[in-house]
Amino acid sequence: MSEITPPSSSEDRRWAFFGFLSARAAPLASFLVILLMLVVCNMMAPGFVSVANIMQIAQLSAFLGIAAIGQTLVILCGGIDLSVAWTITGAACVFTQVSQGQSDMLLPALAAALAAGLGAGILNGIGVAKFRISPIVMTLAMNNVIQGVTLLYTEGTPSGSAVEESRFVATGYIGPFSVLVLLWVALAIVVIALLRLTRGGRQLLGVGENPLVSYLSGVRNDRVLISAYALSGLTAALAGVLYASFSGASFLGMGDTFVLPAIAAVVIGGASIYGGRGGYGGTVIGALSLTLLTTMLSIINFSAGGRDVIYGAVIIAALLLNRFTQGVAR
Amino acid sequence: MMRWFHAARRSEAAGSVAIFAVLFAAYFVLKGSHYSLFEAGNLATNVLPLAVVGLAQYFVVLVRGIDLSLGPIMAVSGSLAAVLFPLGILPAIAAALAAGLVAGALNGLLVARLKLSPIVVTLATMSVWDGVALIVLPVPGGTIPPALQAILTTTPSFLPMSLVLLAAFTLLGSWIMTTRFGLQLRAIGGDETAAEASGVNVRRRQFCAYVLAGFLAACAGLYFAISTMAGSPIIGDGYVLPSIGAVVLGGVPLIGGRGSPVGVVMGALILTIIGSLLYFADLADFYQSLINGVILIVVVGAAAVRDWAREALAR
Repeated sequence: MSEITPPSSSEDRRWAFFGFLSARAAPLASFLVILLMLVVCNMMAPGFVSVANIMQIAQLSAFLGIAAIGQTLVILCGGIDLSVAWTITGAACVFTQVSQGQSDMLLPALAAALAAGLGAGILNGIGVAKFRISPIVMTLAMNNVIQGVTLLYTEGTPSGSAVEESRFVATGYIGPFSVLVLLWVALAIVVIALLRLTRGGRQLLGVGENPLVSYLSGVRNDRVLISAYALSGLTAALAGVLYASFSGASFLGMGDTFVLPAIAAVVIGGASIYGGRGGYGGTVIGALSLTLLTTMLSIINFSAGGRDVIYGAVIIAALLLNRFTQGVAR
Repeated sequence: MMRWFHAARRSEAAGSVAIFAVLFAAYFVLKGSHYSLFEAGNLATNVLPLAVVGLAQYFVVLVRGIDLSLGPIMAVSGSLAAVLFPLGILPAIAAALAAGLVAGALNGLLVARLKLSPIVVTLATMSVWDGVALIVLPVPGGTIPPALQAILTTTPSFLPMSLVLLAAFTLLGSWIMTTRFGLQLRAIGGDETAAEASGVNVRRRQFCAYVLAGFLAACAGLYFAISTMAGSPIIGDGYVLPSIGAVVLGGVPLIGGRGSPVGVVMGALILTIIGSLLYFADLADFYQSLINGVILIVVVGAAAVRDWAREALAR
């Protein structure tokens, strides 16, 4: 991974446009696939492509999209977060159990849930950045730890329910717009702006591209890494709270279905799994296309096993596409 | 005596053997009264799938890879065997092991040949094999010939078969590491460029490591199905972290190149004994995953602390 790559020949401006396209091959391809899938869906279930339906798919994508914010940041700085599953479940359980469906407990419950996620993320970051534990092992082990703590906290059966206000955010509409989708759009703008326009965003990409160069340029790598993992825990917790609000209650294992899709969304979005390249815009497209795929598979009554196989195949296809269009095997 | 002591100090598995000895003593005391060959056989039956899948993970980690799909490969091989046993014992076993070879070859192709990231590739194939297992056997069950289960698990008069198998797999792993192939794997993990320069076909050896891992995982899944008398499509996820845990507890660094199969088997024994100790201590299942996670973080983190200490002392 630490091989030196030759500087790209940016003199040739004609190629710049093709470079722009090929670096975004996976999100572009999946965008085309989205369109194609919409056409196919419309043929199989006439009337499928309507404003209301598309808004609904965007709403379903929002949970995945929000959970994948943190995953994007972590992957951009060269790591991976496999603790998303139980962070989502744990935060959702904390939220419903603290609030017990009481509106006046909304803020304490939200704060407790987000703090739990943030705490888990910070621990992940400290393990990876300070103790040099490999991200896979650290976050996989942390997933087990959070699982154990959640089981102890809930004594095996999560109780309580979501609050009226949070239910409105997760399921409500303002005019034709889902509140959740509006929230997602706002978050996406913030994340993209943070990544592109702020020093922190550039430092994040720098650490992912080459930790040594970043360190020698005076960046505190460990702080950048810990922030990325902390944000990952935070956004996973937010996704958990929203998902619990959507379902009305929390249940064990509710986060399990998010881990693979969250990573898949980032990979489909064209981010390099070795860090340093990509952004959140691609992840948004990845989340939309995966949700559409899931919806389509359930329309044609695909078995759960078959869905797992297709999910895996899609990730491998995206990896191959990235590999051959971005060229550099690092 | 001193010579033996120095040899043990140099041995990469010494630490894990020591931890295992302490835990085993605790287990022995807590159990009270006697310890029979029957129980040794039981322990071996319980630890065998984890030990074998740990060995599978070891060969991949040795060449700086990681394989998150080994658990689901176990599920596929066990489910396939449970479905096919009515057709005959040999075809069922052959199909189960062949599934492992195919799965390993797919990982090897994507990781070693196409140079894709091992984490994401095996995460994707993990989903694929989980799905295949569910398609092969939608609910746990199937048929396992009772005679086969009896031969492979129950205790004959003098030596439990599971203990023999555990020893056989440990020896097999250790033997592989003494061959030219094993040495080449170690060299790749130590320094890929240097290995390539000294004539090792790095890609082919890495490919072989993944195929070997797939095969061993299939053996583990087959044994698990036989010893529990049922195939299960959902056992996979329960082995992902423990297989890495066994490797790490066995003193194998995740950057590859070092460690021994004996250590990995000890790592698997340690994890299994901790499970039994929790059971004796009457702690709920809740604690098992919590403690597995904490142990893994502490063990890997301790290596970092040791390195700091060494640096500080050297200064």
